[in-house]
Amino acid sequence: MKKSIIGLLLILSMLAVACGNSLEGQEVIYFGAPATDGPDGQAIQATFRDFTEETGIIVTYVGSENFESELLAQIEAGNPPNIALWPQPGTVRAQARAGNIIPLEDVGVDLDEYRSNFSSYLVGLGEVDGVPYGGAQAVNLKSIVWYQPAEFEKRGYAVPETWDEMIALADQIVAEGMTPFCFGMYSNGATGWLATDWMEDIMLRTGNGVDSYDAWVNHEIPFNDPIVKTAATYLSQIMHTDGYVVGGTDAIVSTFFGNAQDPMFERDSNGNPGCFMHRQASFIPGFWPEEAKAGLGTETTFFAFPQMDVVSDTVLGAGDMWAVLVNDEATQAVVDFMLSEDYWTGVAENWSGSSSTRITAHTGFDTSKYWSPVVAQQAEFLKAALQANVFRFDGSDNMPTEVGSGSFWVEMTELATQGPGYIDTALDNIEKSWP
Amino acid sequence: MSVLSDNNKLLATGLRIIAFALFPLLWFLFQAILFREISKAIPRSLLIFLAIAVGSTFIFLLYIGMNKIISYAPKQYQEGLYGAMFVGPAIFLLGLFLFYPAIRTIYLSFRDKYGDFSVGFENYIWAFSNDLMKITIRNQFIWLLGVVSLVILIGLIVAYISDKLQKGEAFFKSVIFMPMAISGVGSSAIFKFIYEYRPPPLTQIGFLNGLRVTGGQDIDGNDCKNNVIENGNKIGYTGEGCTEPIGWLQQRDLTKFKAFENVSEVDTLQSFFSNLPLNTILLMIIMVWMYTGFAMIVFSAAIKAIPSEITEAGRIDGASEARIFLSVVMPYIKSTIVVVATYITVTVLKAYDIVFVTTRGDFETNLLAVKMMDEFSKFLHFGRASTVAILIFISVIPIIVLNALRNREDTKI
Repeated sequence: MKKSIIGLLLILSMLAVACGNSLEGQEVIYFGAPATDGPDGQAIQATFRDFTEETGIIVTYVGSENFESELLAQIEAGNPPNIALWPQPGTVRAQARAGNIIPLEDVGVDLDEYRSNFSSYLVGLGEVDGVPYGGAQAVNLKSIVWYQPAEFEKRGYAVPETWDEMIALADQIVAEGMTPFCFGMYSNGATGWLATDWMEDIMLRTGNGVDSYDAWVNHEIPFNDPIVKTAATYLSQIMHTDGYVVGGTDAIVSTFFGNAQDPMFERDSNGNPGCFMHRQASFIPGFWPEEAKAGLGTETTFFAFPQMDVVSDTVLGAGDMWAVLVNDEATQAVVDFMLSEDYWTGVAENWSGSSSTRITAHTGFDTSKYWSPVVAQQAEFLKAALQANVFRFDGSDNMPTEVGSGSFWVEMTELATQGPGYIDTALDNIEKSWP
Repeated sequence: MSVLSDNNKLLATGLRIIAFALFPLLWFLFQAILFREISKAIPRSLLIFLAIAVGSTFIFLLYIGMNKIISYAPKQYQEGLYGAMFVGPAIFLLGLFLFYPAIRTIYLSFRDKYGDFSVGFENYIWAFSNDLMKITIRNQFIWLLGVVSLVILIGLIVAYISDKLQKGEAFFKSVIFMPMAISGVGSSAIFKFIYEYRPPPLTQIGFLNGLRVTGGQDIDGNDCKNNVIENGNKIGYTGEGCTEPIGWLQQRDLTKFKAFENVSEVDTLQSFFSNLPLNTILLMIIMVWMYTGFAMIVFSAAIKAIPSEITEAGRIDGASEARIFLSVVMPYIKSTIVVVATYITVTVLKAYDIVFVTTRGDFETNLLAVKMMDEFSKFLHFGRASTVAILIFISVIPIIVLNALRNREDTKI
C-alpha cells in the first residue's frame, strides 16, 4: 500500500516535470530586504498578481532582515534565489565583480530600451565596466521637507525657497518661543544615516553642485576637503543652534527617526505644534501615527529642499536594485515584466492595501495612477529629475561599506553630540577610514 | 601467543577505525550524492518527504547492518566494537560540523576581506587598535566583571534569605526565577520600554523618563507632569525648570545628572564615576535581571544540602549569622559558586540578543558577539569577523581549563 502511494507520487512528479515546457507552475523566488509581511513586502508581492494569473509563473517574494548574510550563505551553498533585491546598488556591483550575478543582456533585456526608460544615470549605478547587471526599480525622494501648511498660514510664514530664508524662518520661530525643526537620527545599528542624508543634500547644493558631489562620493576629493567642511558647517548650523531642534542637541541622537516627526502632530496648551519642519525621505509617512497618516497631502505635505549656493533642481534619492542569479525561462519572463511600464501598477494602485509609498524609477509610468496625490507629486518630481539627469543617488550607499555604513554614520553621530568644534576631527576620521 | 594477541589487537583497532569513520562516511556521501542528483528532478515537497523517509530509514539500516557485521567478529571484540558503532557517527558529525568550521575560522582570520589573500596578523592588529574594537573589548570586560559578580552576589543573598523564610518561599523564589523563563529578546524588549525616550512635548512612555519628568515645578510655579489631563487641561513638562527626559541608552557617561554636571578632572574619584558608561550598565542590568533567578535556584539547592548539624554547631559555638554565612555556608557551596560563575561567564561572552535588540551596538555599547556579526553581515569582512570569533573563543579557554583542573581536583578527593 505504502509502496504504491510513493510510486504514484513519483509518477505524478515526473509528469509535472515533463509537462513543464510551458512556464505554467514554474516557481521564481524573489529575495529582498523589506520584510515579507511589511507594507513594502506586501506591495512587492502584490505587483505579480495579474502576471501570475496570465502566465502561470508563481513569483514568491521572500523578505529578510538579514538579507545580505542569508543571500551570501545561499550563494555559497549553490542555492541562490532567482532574483535578489539589494537595498544598495554598490552591493550589486560588488556581487557582479565576484561573478555571482548574470548580466542583464544574457537574460534577454533590451539595453537601449532599458536605459531610455530608467535614465542612464540609474542604469549606470548597476554597471561594471559598462555592462549592466542591476535592474533599477523603486526610488524614494529625499530632498523634501515635511510641514503643515495650515500652521504656516495661521502664523503668516512663507515656505522657504532658499537656505537663508529657512534660517530666517527658523530664527523667527525661535523668537516666537517655538521650535522650528524636528530632528531625530537614532536608528538601531544605523544611527547617523539621517545626518548623512542632510550632508548629501547640502553637498548637492554647495561647492560645485553635482560635480563636486560625484567627486566626493567617488573619493576623487578627500573627505576633509573644504567643500565637505562647508557642508558639515551648514548641517551643524541646524543641529547646534540653540533652540532649533526639538529637545535640544542632546535629543537628536536619542530620538528614534521614526518618532522624530511626532512633535509636529502634537499641540501644546497654546495650540502650537512641537516643530514646524522635518526633512525626511518620502517613505516616512509609513512611520507616522495613524491619525496623521489620514492627513497625508492635506494636513501635512512637503516642500522641496531649499536652494543653496548652487541653484539647480537636483534631487537626492535612494532606492533598491535587483539582479538575476539564476537564468531560466521563467526568470526571463519575470525580468521582462519587471522592466515593463505596467509593473508598478500594483504598488501605485495599492493592490495589497498596505499603502506602500514606493515610487517607480520607470520614467514612462503614468504618475496619475498613484493612490495618494502626495506620492504622485513626488513621482512627478523624481521623473523630472531623472529625465533632466539631475537625480543623484544617496552617496553613502555608493561609498564603500566601511565608510557608507560605518565611519560616516559613527562620526556624524559624534558630531551631533560633540558640537561644531568636532567637524574637523569627524571629517579627518572618515578620510582615514576610507579603504 | 603474544604475537597472536598483538595481531588480534591490530585487527581490533583496524575494525574500530573502519566502524568509526567508514560507515558514517559512506552513509553521508551516499545521501549527499543521492539528494544532489534528485533535487534537480523532483519538486520540493516530495523532496522533503523523501529526505525524511530516506534519512531516517538509512540510519536505521546503517545500525542494523553494522550490528550484523559486528556479530561476525570474534566474541571478545564485540563489546568494544558496539561502543565504536554508536560513538563513530557522533564523532564524525562533530568533526564535520564543529572541528572543521573552527579550523577554517582560524584560517580565515589570517585572510583578507573575502578570504582570498593572506594578510598575516593584520586583522589581529586591527582588533586591538581600532577605536570601536577597543571600546567593544572594554565593554566585554565590564560585562564580565559586572554581570558575573552581580548575578552571584544577588543570587546568593536572595537564596540565603529565601531559605530563612517561614512561609511563601516557593512563591518568592518563583517570582525571582520568572525572568529566566522569558527569552533574551523578550526581556530586552521589556527593558527597552523602560528606557524609552520620546522627544518633548510627546508623552513619555518609558518608565524611567515618565518618573523623571513627573514632579517638581517650573519657574512659573506650574506643576510638571507627563502630559496628564487634569480638569480638561493637559499638564506637560516643557516649561523651563522641569526635568528634561533623557535618552537613557544614548548616555555614555553620567554628565547629564546634576551631581556630575561640573566635575573637574582633578577630582579623580568623581571624574571616574562621571565617566561610567551609563548605557552599558543599563544593558547589563537586563542580563543580571535574567540570570539572578538561575543563580538563586542553584545556590538555594546547595544551601539546602548543607547538613543542619554543621550550622547548628556553629551557632552553639556562638557564631553570628554573618559569621556562619561566611565561614560555614560559603566554603560549603564554593564549588557551586564556581559552576555558576563559569556558566554566567560563558553566557556573557556569547551575549548577543540584549545588545542586538536595544542599541545594536551604537553609542559605544557593542559586545564582541554583535561586533562579529556586524563585521560578517554588515561590512562583509570575513577576515575580521573570524578574528573576533577567535577572540571570543580564546577568552573562553581559561575558563574551560580552570573547570577541567577543578574537575580533576574533585575526582582526586
